[in-house]
Amino acid sequence: MNTFVSRFAPSSSVIPQYRGALAGDDDDEFSDLTWGSQAGFGNIGAKGIPSFEVPNLPDPSAFLRMHTDDYADPNCRIKIQHGTTTLAFRFKGGIIVAVDSRATAGSYIASGTVKKVIEINPYLLGTMAGGAADCQYWETYLGIQCRLHELRNRERISVAAASKYLSNLVYSYKGMGLSMGTMICGWDKTGPALFYVDSDGTRLKGDIFSVGSGSTYAYGVLDQSYSWDLSDADAQELGRRSIYAAGHRDAYSGNTINLYHVKEQGWEFIGNYDVTKMHYDGPGNVPGATGGGYGYDVRTAGRSASDADAIDTSA
Amino acid sequence: MSIMEYNGGSVLAMKGKNCVAIASDLRLGNQAMTVATNFEKVFPVTDCLYLGLAGLASDVITLRERFRFRVNMYTIKEERQIEPATFAQLVSSTLYEKRFGPYFVEPVIAGISKKTGEPFIAATDLIGCLNFAKDFVVCGTASDKLFGVAEGLWEPDLEPEDLFETISQTLMNAVDRDAFSGWGAIVHVITPEKVITRTLKARMD
Amino acid sequence: MADGAGSGGAYSFSLTTFNPSGKLVQIEHALAAVSQGTTSLGIKASNGIVIATEKKASSILIDDSMIEKVSIICPNIGIVYSGMGPDFRVLVGKARKSAQAYWKMYGEYPPAKVLAQEIATVMQEATQSGGVRPFGVSLLVAGWDDHRGPSLYQIDPSGSFWAWKASAIGKNMVNAKTFLEKRYHDDISLEDAIHTALLTLKEGFEGQMTEKTLEIGVITVPQDNVLKMKDGRPVPTFRKLTQEEIKDYL
Repeated sequence: MNTFVSRFAPSSSVIPQYRGALAGDDDDEFSDLTWGSQAGFGNIGAKGIPSFEVPNLPDPSAFLRMHTDDYADPNCRIKIQHGTTTLAFRFKGGIIVAVDSRATAGSYIASGTVKKVIEINPYLLGTMAGGAADCQYWETYLGIQCRLHELRNRERISVAAASKYLSNLVYSYKGMGLSMGTMICGWDKTGPALFYVDSDGTRLKGDIFSVGSGSTYAYGVLDQSYSWDLSDADAQELGRRSIYAAGHRDAYSGNTINLYHVKEQGWEFIGNYDVTKMHYDGPGNVPGATGGGYGYDVRTAGRSASDADAIDTSA
Repeated sequence: MSIMEYNGGSVLAMKGKNCVAIASDLRLGNQAMTVATNFEKVFPVTDCLYLGLAGLASDVITLRERFRFRVNMYTIKEERQIEPATFAQLVSSTLYEKRFGPYFVEPVIAGISKKTGEPFIAATDLIGCLNFAKDFVVCGTASDKLFGVAEGLWEPDLEPEDLFETISQTLMNAVDRDAFSGWGAIVHVITPEKVITRTLKARMD
Repeated sequence: MADGAGSGGAYSFSLTTFNPSGKLVQIEHALAAVSQGTTSLGIKASNGIVIATEKKASSILIDDSMIEKVSIICPNIGIVYSGMGPDFRVLVGKARKSAQAYWKMYGEYPPAKVLAQEIATVMQEATQSGGVRPFGVSLLVAGWDDHRGPSLYQIDPSGSFWAWKASAIGKNMVNAKTFLEKRYHDDISLEDAIHTALLTLKEGFEGQMTEKTLEIGVITVPQDNVLKMKDGRPVPTFRKLTQEEIKDYL
């Protein structure tokens, strides 16, 4: 009977001796180490699996679905950031990872400087689409597990194993409102490896992925110019150009592009590019750049009859 | 998603000293997809009176033609140009005619009275409730952001060039925080002598 | 041959069929009805307009306080008629409704010309529609608007209308117009115009000319320093003179 009661009572009530002493303090179930040294991972128990409080209801996942899943109900109160464009593709020189940096809450652009590439460790990158907090938390957590794996087995975890760890983990929370669409990118014994993992539990191995509301636009550019034998410079340009296309067309994507290149020695940050600057001027003098802006109007100015005003007749 | 946000877009008008300014963004979207970046939402009514329409693009075009018709009929019948205040009433009554099946458009009116030389701005909601403001009026998907920025930047008795700078900065900074507006902008500054029209180089994302 | 319309001969297809000499006889007849009506006149002055008419009751037993021949259409427009009273009443109703519709659309009252055109259209329709007869009235419309200032229009049963500096309609119109032509000059003041109007009506006036047998309406051009709106309503520029005021002019 006692076990039944404690199962449905708030977790703090199982240690009633602290209640009086710390009245009004809601962090009494955490150790002091939680704040600071454990970086928010203080809830990881002896078995290495974090524990979360769930709503105190017979069917918590139904409750969460009702209040947090904006796919089922656009008017639900807890909004999860959805608009994004991220892409990653494998080629002979490694993996190009490119993402935008816009965060939206409805039509409001909440931030234009979001880091959507999560640097799990020097050899692994994860991308962020869907719930920012979910991606950030679980990919950081994945980093912890990858390091533990390294210490236990004296060798780096494969990208396949790391992505599967994440996939299994989010699957265990299925139906509780987790929202992530991520690409796990890295270089292991097998060479460059790329996996798509999402909160539905999907895990796919592939050469080209793009995730988010602007993914269709990115795919359009990507598919047009992709080849396995791309040079590093051309591959980087393709990543930039693809995210630019999404940033231009998709209302929920844009602001800046973050470009990474995963190589044998680990990942390398290539640069941050303003989408509007790409439109008018292009990336400037960088490897792969063809010169000039990416914008259609900019590239075609003065070349069509409907744009006769812009034709320079002085030459 | 609201029908008012289906195509996106925003319009703003400001009063200055013996001048008014009206500006719009240039985006035409299909929900999140940007379809065109040359969709103007501000139209001349007379040589010193402009009408801005933000909202559902098909209704923007329909109403533009409807008002063109009504103003042409007025001009011919009355043998005079319509005054800004009279036109505002016409806009209001035209919209209220469709009270129970409205045009999904929020109009903004900006002009200078030929009779008195007074600058005039007004806006209505989609069923024609008039708002005669002394300072500025906004509408469209970025309206809440426009209110915020305009509240901070606008000041009374701005000269035409300063008013241009104020309205341009207000519009650009507001639409940069709105997912459904932007992709270029156009500004008209109306003075008793002339109308200055400029397109702005804006963010394209 | 039981058909009523077909049994009356070649000229009864319609009341408004042109006759062989190109005239619409029904309109001629309507004008004849007007010229049997009491005389009305209007004079445009430099600072206003006066419209005036003779008010004649067919019997001394009639309470003439309810006869109204000069009517307010909206705060800036008034009209007077000669001809058939009931037809006038119908037109006043339509004109007032039209003025209110204009207010509803534009938030201001119509200029005199627009309203005159509106009434003229109604009158024209009666010359071309089936089952109706032309209106048996001519009207003088006096109005003020900030576009054209004071203006005076005459509308006839045919639906035609013109602007006048001074005009007369009804029984004594020919004499009255001749009189006005002699008396009128461009810088006449409103006060002088009212006196001229009374003098004109005096010619051929039947019976005693008193405050009870006259109706006068005036447009006063608003001065720049006078409010055009008060409490959200326009300050009237047209008003009817009271019997006391008329008495003072006699």
